[in-house]
Amino acid sequence: MELLSFGDKGYGDELFYGALITIQLAVFGYLLALVLGIGLGLFALKGKGPRWWAFRAYASVFTGVPSLLVIFLFYFGGAEIVRSVLAPLGVNLRLDVTSFQAGVAALGLVYAAYLGDLIRGAIVNVPKGQFEACEALSVPRRHLWFDVVLPQALRLALPGLANIWIVLLKDTALVSLAGLNDLIAQAKIAAGSTKQPFVFYTAALLFFVLISTLTMPAVRRAAQRLDRGQRKAGA
Amino acid sequence: MTFDFALARENLPALLNGAWVTLMVTFTVMAVGAPLGLLIAFARMSKRRWLAAFGAAYVAVCRGAPSLILLYLIYNGLAQLDIVRHGWAWLLFQHAFFCVVVAFALNHSGYIVEILRGGMEAVPAGLVEAAAALGLSPRQILWKVRLPIAVRYGLKAYQNEALLFMKSTAAVGAVTLVDLTSAANEIFYLTYDPFTPIITAGVIYWVINFVMRTGFGWIDRRLNRHISAA
Amino acid sequence: MEFAKLDRYPAVALAGVQKWYGQYHALRAVDLTVERGEKLVICGPSGSGKSTLIRCINALEAHDGGAITVNGIALGKDRASILDVRREAGMVFQQFNLFPHMTILENCTFAPRTSLKLPRGKAEERAMRYLARVHIADQAHKFPAQLSGGQQQRVAIARALCMEPRIMLFDEPTSALDPEMVGEVLRAIEELTADGMTMICVTHEMGFARRIADRCLFMDQGEIVEQAPAEDFFERPKSPRLQDFLSQILH
Repeated sequence: MELLSFGDKGYGDELFYGALITIQLAVFGYLLALVLGIGLGLFALKGKGPRWWAFRAYASVFTGVPSLLVIFLFYFGGAEIVRSVLAPLGVNLRLDVTSFQAGVAALGLVYAAYLGDLIRGAIVNVPKGQFEACEALSVPRRHLWFDVVLPQALRLALPGLANIWIVLLKDTALVSLAGLNDLIAQAKIAAGSTKQPFVFYTAALLFFVLISTLTMPAVRRAAQRLDRGQRKAGA
Repeated sequence: MTFDFALARENLPALLNGAWVTLMVTFTVMAVGAPLGLLIAFARMSKRRWLAAFGAAYVAVCRGAPSLILLYLIYNGLAQLDIVRHGWAWLLFQHAFFCVVVAFALNHSGYIVEILRGGMEAVPAGLVEAAAALGLSPRQILWKVRLPIAVRYGLKAYQNEALLFMKSTAAVGAVTLVDLTSAANEIFYLTYDPFTPIITAGVIYWVINFVMRTGFGWIDRRLNRHISAA
Repeated sequence: MEFAKLDRYPAVALAGVQKWYGQYHALRAVDLTVERGEKLVICGPSGSGKSTLIRCINALEAHDGGAITVNGIALGKDRASILDVRREAGMVFQQFNLFPHMTILENCTFAPRTSLKLPRGKAEERAMRYLARVHIADQAHKFPAQLSGGQQQRVAIARALCMEPRIMLFDEPTSALDPEMVGEVLRAIEELTADGMTMICVTHEMGFARRIADRCLFMDQGEIVEQAPAEDFFERPKSPRLQDFLSQILH
């Protein structure tokens, strides 16, 4: 196990820093997807009309192609995309897009489609009476959404949210193919240098398996805590 | 950020070759992964504790790990072992395609185990009791009653998984297999135009996705023909 | 915003109010005036439009024709008049509609704090006062699901009162309750009548109606068929439809 140790001899610290990058990528990607997803869910709330179809088109595109393709699109074409978006605004900037940024953007846009669907479905399932009570009490719109509806919707969507977190986390591995020095990339380098592929790939595997296996029980416990008042007393 | 139609047309053959590889990988893995998944599902649902534990561990690893790691483990790991390189297995493992199928089949079968488990649990107990009362043996009940119903219940979940899986095959470029994504990348490396090849590849993926979904819909309708729409 | 003459105006005035749901004519040119401090009970068979009527008063449903005026405020389609009307009229729902993820106290302080911008201390003081009025102050830190239906509905009444409306609207407040809990809620509502509050209550509880109502209304198929002071309404019903209805309800 000397290979995994920290310091000069072992690759432990490289793997550790790689894992940090993986987690950062996953967290930022998920947060972006969540914010966009909530926005999309609210935007397409009415089940019909142009907004709904616009959302369906977006979802069809981003769930119909591999996330790796989107990652490559943003990584290879990112600078060009940024330039075309900023040019009409009069800003002539050519920014290079790092693989991390491409990864966050790609994962965010792709998983926003899944989350948008999930959250929209959850909002639709919040009882109509909640909206009516707020209206009758003249509660301002902002508070209706942020204090009453969204908390209940997110609670309903919790299992789905956790599931998508795990899927997204695993997808971060693909960004290593766009040059990101994440856990997988570091494992690959270490495996190549030391000719000990099993040690390093298994270590990387354990990282992911551990997080996946631990997420579900943790989410269930969080759900129970959130439900604290809502378990029916008696009948 | 323009789309070059001429370039797209010129490179379509290369992309379609890549698409063919994608489809080959997808369907070969589905064909291999299904029986494998069935086998492990039996272990997972077995009454023997060690078998069930093994099944659970198998599922945790195969579903919890990104398919890329499994890919590296087989291609850069298993296939590089001396025993393998100098043995008969090298006939198989020397081909990237074989390694890819093994790795993805492991991954895919993990999901199948859980889908089958969910489907089996959804089989109404009353049906099983009725079958037993009619004199069917446990083996007959399993194959003629429980599994067919479990498969129908699991079909929607399986469809979702199959579509996701098809898209995850894009990772095979990491082990030298030239699928649709790799083909698009190669065109980019040659022409420095990232948009045309990638967007064209995206359209082709979307079409494959659409066709698969339609196919599943057809299977679903055929399997449920006996249940008339309410 | 239009105000009628400020000295004497009715609490609620409906003139020729119409409401359609697609082709279905739910309210047919309804005229109604409710004086300040009056207790009005509306009854009728299901589908008669009584819930629709009361929900039009606080704009939960938009009326398609005619005019609705609440405490002198003309109810239009604009947000400003809707907001003003909702401040004047509080509503208690059949399904309580408490916020399940908030405590009883938070349920009651939520609207005063967000809509009236009351600071937290004042909002809680007010909430405890009204919770005490409906005899449920001791449950302030529980969650709705931990309370019985009757308790939840009393909280809903307190929650509406916390906005200090001048008119209270009750939409079948006891219809979703188990029989043994109906009494505690009706008692809570009766206690409110002593304060001179204007009340419009849609209900099937005829005993309750006889006790508290100044005037009763019978609606059928979107129209007011008969209205009379409570005693006349029950003892001497004039229209055959009302006579039928009463005989069915009162066996």
